[in-house]
Amino acid sequence: MTLAMLLAADDPTSLIEWLTDSATRVRSGSIPEQAWTTVWHAMAALAVVVATMVPLAVVLAHHRKAELVSTWLVNIGRAVPTVTVVGLLVIVSLRNGLGFEPWPILIALVLLALPPVFTNTYTGVRGVDPGAVDAARAMGLSTTGVMTRVELPLALPLILGGVRTAAVQLLATEPIAAFFGGTGLGLYLYLGLAEDDVYQVQAGAVLVCAVALTADLLLALLSRVLVPRGLRIGAARPGDASRSRRRPDAPPAAATAAAS
Amino acid sequence: MTRRRIVLALVACVVGVGAVAAWQRIQDLSLETQATNPIVRWEWVFLREDTPAELWEATLQHLQLTLMAVGIGFVLASVLAAVALRFRWTFPPITAFTGFLYTVPSVALFGILVTYYSNTEAALIALVSYTLLILVRNIVAGIAGVPRAVVDAADGLGMSRVRRLLTVELPLAVPVIVAGLRVATVTTVGLVGITAIIQLGGLGSLIFEGFNSQYYTKMVVGSALSVGLAVALDLLFSRAEIALTPWARRRAS
Repeated sequence: MTLAMLLAADDPTSLIEWLTDSATRVRSGSIPEQAWTTVWHAMAALAVVVATMVPLAVVLAHHRKAELVSTWLVNIGRAVPTVTVVGLLVIVSLRNGLGFEPWPILIALVLLALPPVFTNTYTGVRGVDPGAVDAARAMGLSTTGVMTRVELPLALPLILGGVRTAAVQLLATEPIAAFFGGTGLGLYLYLGLAEDDVYQVQAGAVLVCAVALTADLLLALLSRVLVPRGLRIGAARPGDASRSRRRPDAPPAAATAAAS
Repeated sequence: MTRRRIVLALVACVVGVGAVAAWQRIQDLSLETQATNPIVRWEWVFLREDTPAELWEATLQHLQLTLMAVGIGFVLASVLAAVALRFRWTFPPITAFTGFLYTVPSVALFGILVTYYSNTEAALIALVSYTLLILVRNIVAGIAGVPRAVVDAADGLGMSRVRRLLTVELPLAVPVIVAGLRVATVTTVGLVGITAIIQLGGLGSLIFEGFNSQYYTKMVVGSALSVGLAVALDLLFSRAEIALTPWARRRAS
């Protein structure tokens, strides 16, 4: 590398230049690499949570077994700051020789995604019209059949809402890992703030936002595709008309959890 | 009901402290760890002379940022909610906009704002923008949820629009509005911790300092106080709600 390149590397003159000139990122890694780290951490955590919590919540909600737990989960999740969880988990991981990454951040993200996914699934199944369940039973469906073919599809809008909230939260929180010895898109923010490098901070912020908003959009599209037309949130249902006359359409309270 | 909550909160605290103590015990079983760096040095918490003042200062800064953000957020949200209630068509765009603000990752928002504003301004702008969605939605839902018959009765008594709002609709909407305030406050307490990345953060700065200097006691204490602050503010608001809606208690008993 020539001296001129090094000088240029230390001193980009605009955000665009920072984003396009890879020589400026010798110390903090390439953009696709860091973006991929952030995205796979979030996707892995979300996959684990969806694979375990959705079935669990459906079964528990079918038997009405965890009425308090579902509200407690959200409240506890809100009160315990993620910084705390990530920080303490990193210490535990270091002490057990597991390093800065990826275990602490993965576990923290799993814990973070639990409340919205569990509670939304639970609330969704809980809110299924009992008439539909009775009808399914009368038609001879087994308990498993009722859960997988009636309750799950009917609760799908809320479940996907929870998954979407969780995904955005995960992608918004993953960058914290960089402040506790990890990598990912947060590294640009961490190094930029530490070195007073305005463009690096701005670039990191723009990239983190872009990833989170893209995920939000993709999951919105996914729920458009997956949810049957008659079930969309806001779709008129018989019986709703009298209740909603003076009430603007507000999404169910469970659909949003803490920002991070 | 409230007594049960206090008992629950106390139990939670005891369980938390017990868990930390047990965890420390397990960690300390390894002699090597014990010799080098125990997770909680109780002497730092209880015997060091400067500790109370430092913790107090951090807690105060945390509380100050939280209350300022929620206060400003509440004023702004009230204005937005008033607009949404007066002109119904503005409600969807207002929720869409505040919903968008809510989606922006906090680390990113703090980061980008700090390149344009001072640290405190950046933190406040970001924190306020996160409270708006919840507050606007709950204020609107609370006031729009007042039963039609009650509104008609107020109109029948010849109340003006403003008087109806202040003496009938607002008091009846208090539970829903306070519920929104509670969620916003608890969320903000957590978010203030993250402002440590821009040299603020109150208790959050203890967490980051503790991590960077490998003095883990600070992290544990900072975390515990942060959770405690969130629970305390939540309880405070629930007491305020009871005080503001005496009729609800009378009906319940």
